[in-house]
Amino acid sequence: MTTKQKDTIDRFLKGGMSRREMIERLGRMGIGAAAGAYILNQGMTEALAQEFNWKAHEGKTINLLLNKHPYADAMIANLENFKSLTGMNVTYDVFPEDVYFDKVAAALSSRSSQYDAFMTGAYQVWQYGPAGWVEDLNEYIQDSDQTAPNYAWDDMLEGIRKSTAWSGVPGAELGGEDSKQWALPWGFELNSISYNRRIFDQLKVEPAKDLPELVELAKKITDSDAGVYGIGVRGSRSWATIHPGYLSAFANYGAKDLTVQDGMLKAAMNSPEAKEMTALWVKMIQESGPKNWATYTWYQVGTDLGAGASAMIYDADILGYFMNGGDNKEAGNLAYSAFTPKPGAEAPTPNVWIWSLAMSTFGGQKDATWYFMQWASGTDHALFGARKMDFVNPVRQSVWKDEEFRSRIAKSYPGYIEQFEASSPGSKIYFTPQPLFQTVTTDWAAALQKMVANEIPVDEGLDELAGNIDRQLKAAGLG
Amino acid sequence: MAATTATQPTASPRKSRLGPALLPYLLSLPALLVCIGIIIPFFTAVWYSLQRYNLNLPYLRGFVWFQQYIDLFSDPSFWHTVQVSLLYTALTVILELLLGLGIALLLRRPSTLHNIMSIALLLPLMVAPAIASLMWKLMTHPDFGILSWLIQQVGITNFRWAAAPSSALFTVLLVDIWVYTPFMMILLLAGLRGLPKQPFEAAELDGVPASFVFFRITLPMLTPYIITAALFRMLDSIQQFDIIYAMTQGGPGDTLMVFQVMAYLDFFQNFNVGRSAAVLMVLWAIAYLLSNVFIKHWLRLRERARGAA
Amino acid sequence: MDRSNPVTKILRGLALLAIGLFFLFPLFWVALMSFQTNEQILRIPPSIVFEPTLSNYWALISGRLVSTAGVLEIKFMGNLWNSVFLSTTSVALALILGVPAAYAFARFRFRLSEDIAFTLLSFRFAPPLLVLLPLSLYFQDIGLTDTYVGLIWVYQLIALPLILWIVRGYFEDISPDIEHAYRIDGHSWWKTFTKIALPLARPGIAAAALLSFIFCWNNFIFALILASAGKQPVTVGALAFVTASGIQYGQIAAAVILSILPTLLLALYAQRYLVEGLSLGAVKG
Repeated sequence: MTTKQKDTIDRFLKGGMSRREMIERLGRMGIGAAAGAYILNQGMTEALAQEFNWKAHEGKTINLLLNKHPYADAMIANLENFKSLTGMNVTYDVFPEDVYFDKVAAALSSRSSQYDAFMTGAYQVWQYGPAGWVEDLNEYIQDSDQTAPNYAWDDMLEGIRKSTAWSGVPGAELGGEDSKQWALPWGFELNSISYNRRIFDQLKVEPAKDLPELVELAKKITDSDAGVYGIGVRGSRSWATIHPGYLSAFANYGAKDLTVQDGMLKAAMNSPEAKEMTALWVKMIQESGPKNWATYTWYQVGTDLGAGASAMIYDADILGYFMNGGDNKEAGNLAYSAFTPKPGAEAPTPNVWIWSLAMSTFGGQKDATWYFMQWASGTDHALFGARKMDFVNPVRQSVWKDEEFRSRIAKSYPGYIEQFEASSPGSKIYFTPQPLFQTVTTDWAAALQKMVANEIPVDEGLDELAGNIDRQLKAAGLG
Repeated sequence: MAATTATQPTASPRKSRLGPALLPYLLSLPALLVCIGIIIPFFTAVWYSLQRYNLNLPYLRGFVWFQQYIDLFSDPSFWHTVQVSLLYTALTVILELLLGLGIALLLRRPSTLHNIMSIALLLPLMVAPAIASLMWKLMTHPDFGILSWLIQQVGITNFRWAAAPSSALFTVLLVDIWVYTPFMMILLLAGLRGLPKQPFEAAELDGVPASFVFFRITLPMLTPYIITAALFRMLDSIQQFDIIYAMTQGGPGDTLMVFQVMAYLDFFQNFNVGRSAAVLMVLWAIAYLLSNVFIKHWLRLRERARGAA
Repeated sequence: MDRSNPVTKILRGLALLAIGLFFLFPLFWVALMSFQTNEQILRIPPSIVFEPTLSNYWALISGRLVSTAGVLEIKFMGNLWNSVFLSTTSVALALILGVPAAYAFARFRFRLSEDIAFTLLSFRFAPPLLVLLPLSLYFQDIGLTDTYVGLIWVYQLIALPLILWIVRGYFEDISPDIEHAYRIDGHSWWKTFTKIALPLARPGIAAAALLSFIFCWNNFIFALILASAGKQPVTVGALAFVTASGIQYGQIAAAVILSILPTLLLALYAQRYLVEGLSLGAVKG
């Protein structure tokens, strides 16, 4: 990079020049937009380097445990920048998503020092934290010797930031008092409606406004001659069935999974609101869900939408995003809609899944690991991933304001940003954090399966579930 | 593991003449040592099963003697698991045995076609069950699945395969049978082809009816092979995990909640190491008892065959 | 039985056809899928008409998957090699350990013999999950975590019992008279074992080895729990095509076909032993 180019970029970074102006100037120097972005990334890297000693851990190697995921792909694509910034080396083990959490549990439960940091979901740290497997990252974030001044922790979306912090007290509010930052949010998904505009246009229908309407709309589509089923939602016997659309609608109806009384947990998924909402949900699946619903996971819900077997899904917004690209038959036909399930409710309350980075307690070089983690969750890499790769949804507000990112999304994913902006303010984790999260949600999914199969009526099913959960909470000393 | 096999050491003289007294120990010791190394974790697991041990509830940890087992035995969902597992094992072993035996009988006479088929039929065994299940899941998909399409052609439109409680067991059995019948087939085919010829020739000369030959000559002579094949299938089947987990994760509801799926969920999802170990110990005990029956039978037959020879 | 009338003959033919269809059609379908793009596989209704593509195989073999999201690295060939290496060495070790032991159980009557034999078989009862957590802790202590040696050791749980029981049965059905005669001629025990017993039992050994090879090949959980990504077998490798942005069915199908090939070649090579070999008593007949 010539000095002139460098000056231009530096001025932009200091805020003395607009982005467009910078790109124009670089253009005059013979640098196209794409190459400009890469150099810009380098420029930012250098800008970071000026204020903070990034080379403090030069020569060290850290090892990561990663899930085979577009977020990990984006990080790997940008890794050279980190290496030249810090002089550190990074190695990584990538495991398929299907077995990823088994591998994490195996590695951590055996107290293996093999991995310094790893990808995790926010729910999982409710188990890893109390087990003593992950570090509280607050002490790093707050330490100005260890964290670059421009790390901009507050730039992270508040609901998401808080959703990865927890005091460890069962039932305590996420991000509340004495919270420990168990993980850094990396990329996240909130739950809304993704639909096939081609099919909707053909049937002359519009996205539903609320859950009762959704149930009707889905039925109408299923009964039509479009040859598709109305709505895809997950149904496998797994925690993953509960957290997307189901819990988002559940929360919107004002229902709670558990309540806390005098520090003790009590199952609350059999409240009247919960029963009302669940009855609609079960009806929707029976009438117009996928036939093999009880085996449906993320993959089948997505595949069906992408291949034109379903007209819409109530699931992660980025699932709809992924299916609008790649070699999917319906790529380019998908559209997005924020969703407020309860009639008369003010705004959407999407539950979220947050892919996060956590630091293993058993790693031998935590300070060096932190350097990697702050880089990987920093604005610089977030911008690179959001502009060039599928590192979406970004967890940083500044990225959502970035013009290049916005125009890329607006062009290829029409309506996505509008959907996000309507959904985002109310989006956070709506589960009660507690160590039996997986047990509770897996049993919940099994109960839904019984209700959908008409083995038990909805209200009885939820009562039975609540009784069952209460017993398990008691056995664990939590209820 | 002692006192398992009650066969009396009726030292057949021709058996012991081949080497010095220590030799057999020297020969079998390396195998034993290698396995003993792996058995140490087994005892650690027994130890875990006697503790309340949740990885993420460290404050609960403590030695509870047999409380874990008592809790299991008083839990109806555990008995459901015992039932489902035994049913699954019985169905797979019996169906695969019958089908495997049938195929072996069809392929009994060595010919080029039969030999090619016997190798070709081994192919399903060569696909890892975990991956095979992925393929079956696609083939039973209501829209893209070729099997769903095929049954639609014969008028069955609302079949939900692994997703409905009424057909989940059937679907998983289908995959299990597809994967493992070849194992039965090849062991039994080998047994059939190895049977001495004389009794069959004699029966043919005497014009004995085929059914009589089958039930009075073929079947009794084949029994040791049937036991070996059934033993190994039984051991795998009662520990079935890959197919059931990939196809239904133990559902719908609790329809297919077999031992290993239960223990897997306890360990990897609920982090309840103690309970998981207790469930698996019960599984181990059942496998142990069943094998004991099989092996006693097998040894008795071998003894008898040797006596007759 | 089939020297009989033409009706039985036709029935037998039909039965064989049905069996062939049931067992081979799914694989035939997978083979077809391996030559299709994901879009072709996910058609409604499924169709047998398509323009074949080699892109799935090419992606697996070259290790690069070019998609709209960029170029992704695929480690499948490494997984395949791991499977070949792990299965081969595990079976080889199991043979070295198991065949002499099988011979001992078949030829000698010694104190505790049946107990030792049963103990060895009983390793097949221990559910892998039961031992995996403690095992990974111990492996950590003795430095076997993430090593091939550690994995090969654990694979003995799969390979050894099978080899032991099948080979034992085979030895028992071979008459010991030849060995006696050879011994009386003044040959050492070792010579008798290697020159007489082993060659006679070769078919049984080959068949048992093939079956335990298949079971090692299909194992999934041991490497996943005990080793890093670089040492994973094809069973784990094939799952890498199930990703958040979609399931690559075409590549999974190609992976299935590629992962069958080594075993199939081995089966074809061992074919003449296979049936004969498992037939324990074939030699004496």
